[in-house]
Formats: sequence, C-alpha cells, structure tokens
Amino acid sequence: MMRRRMICAFLAPALLLYLGLLILPAIQAFYLSFYETSGFGDSAEWVGLSNYARLWGDSVFWRSMRNMALIMFVGGVATFGLAFLFTMLMNAGMRGKKLFRTLIFMPNVIAVVAITTFWSFVFMPRYGMLTSFLKAIGLNELAATAWTAPENVFYAMMVGLVWISVGFYTILIMAGADKIPAEMYEAARLEGASTFQIFRQITLPMIWDVILITLILWAIQAVKIVEFPYAFGGPNIDQNLYTPAIYLYIMGFGQREAVYALGYSTAIGVVMFILTIFIIVLMRLVFRRERVEF
Amino acid sequence: MSNPISARGFKRGLSYLIVGGWSLFSVFFVVWVILASLKRNRELFGSPLSIPADPQWGNFVKTWVNNRFGDYFLNSRLVTSASVVAILIVAVPAAYVLSRGRFRGRQALSSFFAFGMGVPFPLLFVPLFVMMASMRLADTLTGLTLVYVALSIPFTIYVLEGFFSSLPSELESAAVIDGCSDVQVFRHVMLPLAMPGVATVAILNFVGLWNEYQLSLVLINSPENRTLSLGIYSLITSMQYSGGDWASLFAGVTIVMVPTLILFVILSEKMISGITMGGVK
Repeated sequence: MMRRRMICAFLAPALLLYLGLLILPAIQAFYLSFYETSGFGDSAEWVGLSNYARLWGDSVFWRSMRNMALIMFVGGVATFGLAFLFTMLMNAGMRGKKLFRTLIFMPNVIAVVAITTFWSFVFMPRYGMLTSFLKAIGLNELAATAWTAPENVFYAMMVGLVWISVGFYTILIMAGADKIPAEMYEAARLEGASTFQIFRQITLPMIWDVILITLILWAIQAVKIVEFPYAFGGPNIDQNLYTPAIYLYIMGFGQREAVYALGYSTAIGVVMFILTIFIIVLMRLVFRRERVEF
Repeated sequence: MSNPISARGFKRGLSYLIVGGWSLFSVFFVVWVILASLKRNRELFGSPLSIPADPQWGNFVKTWVNNRFGDYFLNSRLVTSASVVAILIVAVPAAYVLSRGRFRGRQALSSFFAFGMGVPFPLLFVPLFVMMASMRLADTLTGLTLVYVALSIPFTIYVLEGFFSSLPSELESAAVIDGCSDVQVFRHVMLPLAMPGVATVAILNFVGLWNEYQLSLVLINSPENRTLSLGIYSLITSMQYSGGDWASLFAGVTIVMVPTLILFVILSEKMISGITMGGVK
C-alpha cells in the first residue's frame, strides 16, 4: 500500500499551487473588497462595506446584472431549447449522429476572439455580411437596421454566444441520453409513441440528473461570463454589453486608461462568487427529485 | 398527410435539414474565415460569399511579420505547452493518490480541489494581478504560465480521478505481491493504464489555454508578451485608427484557429468524451 511519504510527495505540488494561486487570492479578494486602494504603494484605506453600498446604488452595475440575467434566462431558453431539439432529433434514429454532433460542437474549440471577430463582421453597420445579405434578397428595410446600435448590440452578441453554447450543451445532454438503454426507445416506438413523446416521457426523466448539472453549469457560466461579450464589444465596448465580470475588469484595469479602483472592482467579484454559491444551493433544492436508476 | 409513410419521410427530411443545416454552418464558418483571409478588402466587403479571385497570401505575411503574429504565435505555443506539461506533472500524481490512496481526509481533500471549479475566475483578477506584481511576475509569460497551471488544477484532477478510479484494483495487488513499491506500482502499472485519460486532459488543457483570453488580458501588458488572442484584440483596437484591414485581421483569426482545429479533426472523439465525462460523469 501507499506510504505516507508518497502520498505527501504526490499531493504537495498540486496543493501548494492550488492554495497559493487560487485559494489565497480568493480569500484576499474578500479582504480587498473592504478597502479602497489603487494597489501601487499607496496605503489601502479600510472602508468597511462602503464598496458594497456604492455598488448598490451604481446603475452601471445593475445594468450589468440585468444583462447577466438576460444571458442566463433568454440565452438559456434558446440554448437549451436548441440543445434539446437536436438531442431529440438525433436520437430518433438519424444516421451520421456522430458527425453531426462533432460539427455542432466544433465552434467550442476555436478561440473566442476568432468567433467574435466573425460575428462583428456579420453585424457590422452598413457593410456587414448580414446587411449585404438582406439587401441581396430584397429586404431593404430590414437591411437598414443598425445591429450594433445600443438597443440591438446585446442581442447581436447573444446570437453568437448561443451559437457556441448550443454545441457545448448538446454534447453534454446527448452523452446523458446515450446511456439510456436502446430497448426503452424501441419499446416506446412499437407502442406508437412520437419522437416528441419519447423525448418528453423517456429521455427527459431518465437524464434528469444530467440536465440538473448542465443547468447549474449554464447558470454559473452566465454569472462569470466575460470573454465573449468583451471581445464582441471591441475597444469601445458599449455599456449595453457589460456583464458584472466586464464591469469588474473595467473598474479594475480600465479600457484605454487604467482606473485601478481595485477594492471596488473586487467587491463585484465577491458578489459574483456569492451568487454562484447561491445558484448551486438553490438549484439543488428546487430540482431535488428522485433519480431514475437504470 | 393522408399517406403516413410520406408524412414520416417528410419529418425525417426535416430533421436532417435542421440538424444538418446547423452542422453545416460550423463548416461554413471555418471555410468563410479562411477564404476571407485570402481576399482583398474591397472584395471582402463587395462580395463576402465569393471565392477569392486572386488569393492574397500577402495578408498572412503582413499579419505574421508587420502585425507581429509570428511573435504572438511563439508566445502562445510556449505558454500553452509549458503549462500543459507542468499541469500533468503536478496533477497526475495528485489525482492518483486522491483516487487510489487510503488515508484520512481523502474525500474532503478531493472535494476541496473540486471546489476550485466553482470559483469564478474574475474574482481572482485583482488579487492575482497584485500578487504577480509583488513577485515581479506581472506582465511575464512565466507569471501567466504559473497562473494557468494553478487554475487548471481543479478540472484536471477531477477528470483524472475518474480515470484512475475506473482502473481494476487486481493489477495493483498483483504488482504489490510481485514486490513493486508504491511508487513503482504507479509508474509501471497504473500510469501506463491511465495514459488515455492523461492524453485527454492534456488535449483539453492545450485547447483551453491556447484559446484563453481573460487571464492573459489581465496579466499581460507589453506587446512583446502578447498571446495570439491578445494579438487579435489589439489588432482590432488599432484598426480603429488605421482603418479596417479586415482581410489581414481574418488572416490573424485563421492563425489562431487552425492549430486547435487540426487537433480537433484528429482527436474529436477523445475531446468530446473527455468533456462529457468531466461534465456529466
């Protein structure tokens, strides 16, 4: 059996790095959120809860929270709706399931900035691909829409975001559905059940635990999302694209000019962390259901 | 709908149309970006869906040399490969002990590592930046690599634990009876058996870190230390002033995209099964 020495030696490097560069900074974040500091030599000033009090009254912060909620719910309905649709159709005996699954997932291995550059080109005002496409098919009125105008830019971003996310969540949900014994589908089909009935009555209840995990995963990803909207927004990012994490970054490091409101910025991170924990606990409570064993 | 067979045929056709159409869009994306990188700007805007009439390989030269993507490529390659190697060296032994060892607090320690997956990385932006600055590692590739390694540990250990605990214990006991020491059992018996799992986490980390963007945005500042993703972002920023050379930008996009796509074409099954194992388990 393993000697104590080996156990320690094998664990030590991972534990040290994990403690030093993940757990320690996470604890420091809590501490830092009670201070006002720009980090560089100036003495940090204890301000108690005032960073949080300021956040409470900060309309930009609330807008970022609203955007986060829109991603979570509107984006979530779109992403899971499509992922369910694809799982349902592919499980109804389509050929080439593996190939389709692979292609649907493919955008997830490509750098986010690469994807957002493409979508920026699609939605570009006047010369963008969508505009020229709409002009080509004669929809001149629609073609005149400014997709990146403040009132539209968020949903333009969401199109690209949902596109990638669908691929990711489809493979997770399909992997769960693949574990359901094939006889169950065959029996249902013999009984004359439709594709939708089979999905509703067999697939969904059988993979309830997988769905719960994917929903939690989606919600915590929505809380911490930064890369896609940030890169889509470009150097003069519209406030309509702010998520809490983007606002955190901008308050901490700024865009062209650094802001270095480090304490304030970190308070946003703490809110995100608490929200994450809250979501995990809440979802576990709400979705507590008998697990189907098979 | 009077004929049930043709109705079913219609539905079937519709399924292929929906799923196939969505899948084809992924292919369209990749092909379009590569074609766009070979066009003149006028052509790119005038006829975005055409095949380039006269492929402009010069776009790549311009991006690689003038826009310094050659340097960025080397930086990305260096940081990504160093990080992946270090992650494996650190996480494989830890995951092994956590899944096969017998000691008090093993379960708690395992959960403690998994907890790291729930920490939103933006929470760490400021503390990591301050910490790196105080260690004189801010704006260095070494600092970035260290952070990548540490932050990849929870996921990597989580997936590897799954692999190690699925291995049969008979082999372990047989090796012990044959006189292997605990370390030898790991090196000569269990590690070779877990190689498919190790390869999976290596690939997943490689792709994830090659594309990583938010941490490098926080920790890297000088142009000579940029990774490819930062390079593209700064090219977009500079285009604001110099006018839009979108064709060269798409050459940059092609440069960051092609390496992970090649990996994916060869290893898609492995990557997808690795992700679903980590997510669904």
